[in-house]
Amino acid sequence: MHLRGDFRIMNCKEARALFSEFYDRELNQEICDAVKEHLAECQECKEEYKNFRKGLKILKKLRVLEAPRNYMEKTQRH
Amino acid sequence: MTGLERHLIEAAKQGDSRAFDELFLQQQKYLFNLMYQLCGDIAGADDLTQEAIILAYKKIRDFRYESSFRTWLSRIAINLFRLECRRKPKHYSLCLEKIAVPSHQDNPERVVIKSELQWCILHNLQQHLPNKYREVLVLRDLHHLSYKEISEILEWNVSKTKTRLHRARQMFRQQFINNKCKAFADDYLCICEGILEL
Repeated sequence: MHLRGDFRIMNCKEARALFSEFYDRELNQEICDAVKEHLAECQECKEEYKNFRKGLKILKKLRVLEAPRNYMEKTQRH
Repeated sequence: MTGLERHLIEAAKQGDSRAFDELFLQQQKYLFNLMYQLCGDIAGADDLTQEAIILAYKKIRDFRYESSFRTWLSRIAINLFRLECRRKPKHYSLCLEKIAVPSHQDNPERVVIKSELQWCILHNLQQHLPNKYREVLVLRDLHHLSYKEISEILEWNVSKTKTRLHRARQMFRQQFINNKCKAFADDYLCICEGILEL
């Protein structure tokens, strides 16, 4: 990563390695801005990030189940 | 940790069974789903949840407030899950027929599509993600735990959690595409949610 004016310039490998933390908003402002900047300029990484998010969107469709019983009843007898 | 939770823990440590009940009732749905998403079948998740709660009941006096109660309980449950995996290597079988989705007010086509998507997600989690990646993915993306909480549960440092989470997410997506599940996901999004493209 190198500096250009006020921005840190990232290459594709660096940007992609940060997708997870970028998605979770865990990056500091400076690095976050650098990832955004890279995504704005690089069509391939933009597409890659879109697919990264798509995978997570699908995963989150997994249904939440109700617990099938009250586990306390058996626990208290032990 | 809320004041109420602390009060319940203290009472449970003194042997108050009603406090114990109340404390665990708040967690049993979370714990059951966590076990289901890790082990992939309802009967196995049911057994692991029960075992984890019994063990936590026996060990509650050892709870020292070094983490949240949920973190402590999750660590107990995940250690049991790991032990079970070592003891009894799993013969994987997940039938589409066993994936129940609510079918009221939905047409049969949508019910099938929803079931297929559920099957694909579970299949990819169980069959194509090693435990260490499945655990971190489930804790973060299905239960929204923080990096710090996940690190405490899995006994990793935060840096390792970040690295493995990133890898887990990439693997899940890649496997999803490789296993031809993408078409099911596209059907689901298009027919059930009316989204043509994400």
